[in-house]
Amino acid sequence: MEHDREWYDVNIFRPRKGYMTGEVVIILFVLLGWAVANFGVQAILWLLSETPQGEGILTRLTFLSFPWHFWFTAQFLPLWFIILCILFNIYIDRHTEQHSRRKDRSHD
Amino acid sequence: MTDAGPNLIPLIIVTLALASFIVAGLRARARSASDYGIGGRYIGRIGGGAAIASNWMSAASLLGMGGLLYLHGYYALAYVIGWTGGYVLLLVLMAGQIRRFGKYTAPDFVGDRYASPMAGLISAGISITISIIYCTAQFKGIGMLFGWLFGTGYRNGVILGAVVVVGYVIISGVLGVARNQQLQYTLLIVSFILPLMVLAYKLGYFWVLPQFGYGVAIQDLKREFGINFAAPFASGSLFQWISLCFTLMVGTAGLPHVLSRFYVVPNIRDARWSLVWGLFFIALIYWSAPAYAVFARLLEARAGMTLPPAAAEKMADLIVIRTAVMGGLPPWMIGILAAGAVSAAFFTVAGLLITGASSFSHDIYYRFINPRASETTKMALSKAAVVALAVVVLVIAMDPPGLIAEITAVAFALAGNTIFPAFLLGIWWGRANRHGVIAGMLTGVVITFSTPLFGRFLPVVADIFPLTSSAFFGAPAVIAVMVAVSLLTPPPPEEVRRFLAEQVHGHMD
Repeated sequence: MEHDREWYDVNIFRPRKGYMTGEVVIILFVLLGWAVANFGVQAILWLLSETPQGEGILTRLTFLSFPWHFWFTAQFLPLWFIILCILFNIYIDRHTEQHSRRKDRSHD
Repeated sequence: MTDAGPNLIPLIIVTLALASFIVAGLRARARSASDYGIGGRYIGRIGGGAAIASNWMSAASLLGMGGLLYLHGYYALAYVIGWTGGYVLLLVLMAGQIRRFGKYTAPDFVGDRYASPMAGLISAGISITISIIYCTAQFKGIGMLFGWLFGTGYRNGVILGAVVVVGYVIISGVLGVARNQQLQYTLLIVSFILPLMVLAYKLGYFWVLPQFGYGVAIQDLKREFGINFAAPFASGSLFQWISLCFTLMVGTAGLPHVLSRFYVVPNIRDARWSLVWGLFFIALIYWSAPAYAVFARLLEARAGMTLPPAAAEKMADLIVIRTAVMGGLPPWMIGILAAGAVSAAFFTVAGLLITGASSFSHDIYYRFINPRASETTKMALSKAAVVALAVVVLVIAMDPPGLIAEITAVAFALAGNTIFPAFLLGIWWGRANRHGVIAGMLTGVVITFSTPLFGRFLPVVADIFPLTSSAFFGAPAVIAVMVAVSLLTPPPPEEVRRFLAEQVHGHMD
């Protein structure tokens, strides 16, 4: 009975062995990449700012004629989100295939 | 600009565009009457992506975002990031699992997962409120555009627009016109990017990919006129930026009409990949919107007519159209741009009104008031609800409480504070129960509206839970309430937990 109770227990912080563990690892990596690029770079921008308006080394550097920070936020971040989604899908597809070979292809 | 009399050529083009959608819808219907599901027949991953993107594009994307960027520069990029980054959360945390759960509207999911009709009812009420707020922003866009097209004031524009959009919803409903989302997305993208290319060409910047060629314009703006468009914290602090961005992200992942997109594709794998395409198509527009704002600033500065802040704010939501006019684009091209914006607003309104109305007739009336209601009664009630919702929205939109993107952000904050935690814990924590979700959702509603409710007596509330950005602290607070209340009350029924473990998460072990 105790075993059954554990089997029902769905918890992202205590994933069950097998498919779910791998799935949660992939999710955590993607979320890490999402959070660091998104909030981390803004925090660095703030830390390096020399004026109340936030100007500093990162706003003086340029890339493709954009101030670097503007390029990073307006151009690169949306692209980075797309890349993260592609990586997630590739890894989840692979992970799903590994785990479904034992049975049928019911994952689709 | 609004007093210049009707803009005839753009008006004709907008009319033709709307008519062509009805004709195209009818032709598609004649070809395959039964293939249309919730959002269209199955059209492959790229087509599915176009459907996700056109479902997403609204007046907030095509008009509102440009307006905020024009006013606030770098700060408004929080909207660009929030509305793209939210899709990452949606994909990794929810997309596959909701699909396996098998319920695609928020009230159905919440009601079933938490085995509580009351929780379903509350989430239906929240969904309808989200629709109303979201629609108000669309009506503001429609009102401004119609005012401009007919050369009349905002109020006349919004009444005229409301009549036309409700008429459009009713005609589509009566004729059974399905939304042709690929055609729609093609119009949106062409109408938005083509004028931008011409503008970049006329101004002498890299025009082939204007999205990536306006960097020099930002430099010119600073060098020639001392306008620092890219100053990071000129319009808001780091906290304000991050909390706005986070709120829009969790809101995206909790928005009812976005969540239901995973049901038009036949399997989970295609659903996930079409989301990637959808995000790419959305990004095409979001890479372009800042360019309009920069060009607008530059054209104004060059003409020596920089507007005072109050006038600029009034104008901001039409800045995309205004830039095209200032840049001397031909009227037919401005007409195409306007047609894109009008269609985006129209389709969003149509989708939201229909969803809100069916939620009222099905989730509230049928389930709680009269379970023996016939299909005819439900149908009639649904139609009446469309009109009633439109009237409510019109009354609020007569005196719009903010800019288009700001009003929209409130709908995102509400979704992020209520539906997002309900789905997140519903999927990832089997122990979450109905007491927890009801307490959590009610807390979320109070948090969302805490600034207008308590901000006057408690100024600190406005700092912690700003109206457009309340989910940064709000969503974690709601999750904490849900966890605490769930742990203090009995666990959810065994069959729900078994279903979650076996069907939603344990499908292969």
